[in-house]
Amino acid sequence: MPVDHAARLRSVPSLLMDRWRAVTAAAASILLFAVPALAHTGSSAGGFVGGFAHPLFGPDHVVAMVAVGLWGAFLGPPAIWLLPILFPLVMAFGGVVGILGVPLPGVETAIAMSAVVLGSMVALAARPPLWIAALLVGVFAIFHGHAHGTELPPGADIVAYSVGSWLQRDCSTSPVSPLVCLRGGAPAASPCARPAVPSRWPAWPS
Amino acid sequence: MNGFVAGLLHPLALPAHVLALLALGLLIGRQTARRRIVSLAAFVIGVAAGLTAIASGVGQTSAGDVLLAGAFANGALVAMDRPLPTLACALLPAIAGVALGLDSPPEAISIAVATAMLLGTGLGASLALAVIVAGTSYTASVGDWNWCRLGGRILGSWIAASAVLVLALRFARGQLF
Repeated sequence: MPVDHAARLRSVPSLLMDRWRAVTAAAASILLFAVPALAHTGSSAGGFVGGFAHPLFGPDHVVAMVAVGLWGAFLGPPAIWLLPILFPLVMAFGGVVGILGVPLPGVETAIAMSAVVLGSMVALAARPPLWIAALLVGVFAIFHGHAHGTELPPGADIVAYSVGSWLQRDCSTSPVSPLVCLRGGAPAASPCARPAVPSRWPAWPS
Repeated sequence: MNGFVAGLLHPLALPAHVLALLALGLLIGRQTARRRIVSLAAFVIGVAAGLTAIASGVGQTSAGDVLLAGAFANGALVAMDRPLPTLACALLPAIAGVALGLDSPPEAISIAVATAMLLGTGLGASLALAVIVAGTSYTASVGDWNWCRLGGRILGSWIAASAVLVLALRFARGQLF
């Protein structure tokens, strides 16, 4: 019986739309083409430039950071501002843990996993509840922060280095959500369409 | 470079000062016009007090750590995006101003050059803050630029993160306070 190649070709788009097949393909390609984690080579120069350049040379970081921004923009309000704000703050907590020398197991694995998981969330257009998204981003942020806190070069200008490092990181993560707003990609009810400002300070007695 | 110009550029040359000014400017720029004026006046008075204390011979202090703690608080408040009470609008800039002044000792032997540096520092910090406040309030007021408001909140969060990281580093190295 002759094979109808034309019919098979026509079915390709529908196959590609199948999410689970896409996940399988992605997992297979990750396994086939995986390379060692490159986020932390163990060598960094001190100072602003060293801090700024450090996350740039770790593709794992960049992928995860961009994924956080994209996912926040995709999920809409309030994730559009919550996730990009949550990520650096929790990462700072992880950094403090690393600086204080508290060990954390599987840091490099978790960083590599963060790129895969967060990237998959964007690719699959996943829409979990906000608390799950925040929890996922927060957990991975701890590992990213811990890695940076542990690897701070001795004798570095600590202010310049950390500011440079954090600045670069947020230059990668944060602009995604505001840019989506700028491009009109956020829903009309988005808080970037001017949030309602409470009439009084929450901690202030009325 | 003469002393005045060196002092003028001093707040922009130190990352900790830039962080503090940026966080404070973003915070003040989101307040009402009256509170913006109160905050700017409190900052100028605070800087003047801090620089006067330096000129009077106050030595090494922990002003740098206070400045970073203030940057953390101000950055977190920007990220929260809530209006401040008038008292906080006066206190936060005043504390930041005093800390910035105390953390700007002149690197000059001559009294005349040192005085010029102190004056330049006060003017430079006040002008830098005024520019940041004006820019923030302008972008917050223009209807179609609300992505700037969101960007400002994210900027506030990374300022807070940077500040807390530096404080932790200083603590770990035994340099905090």
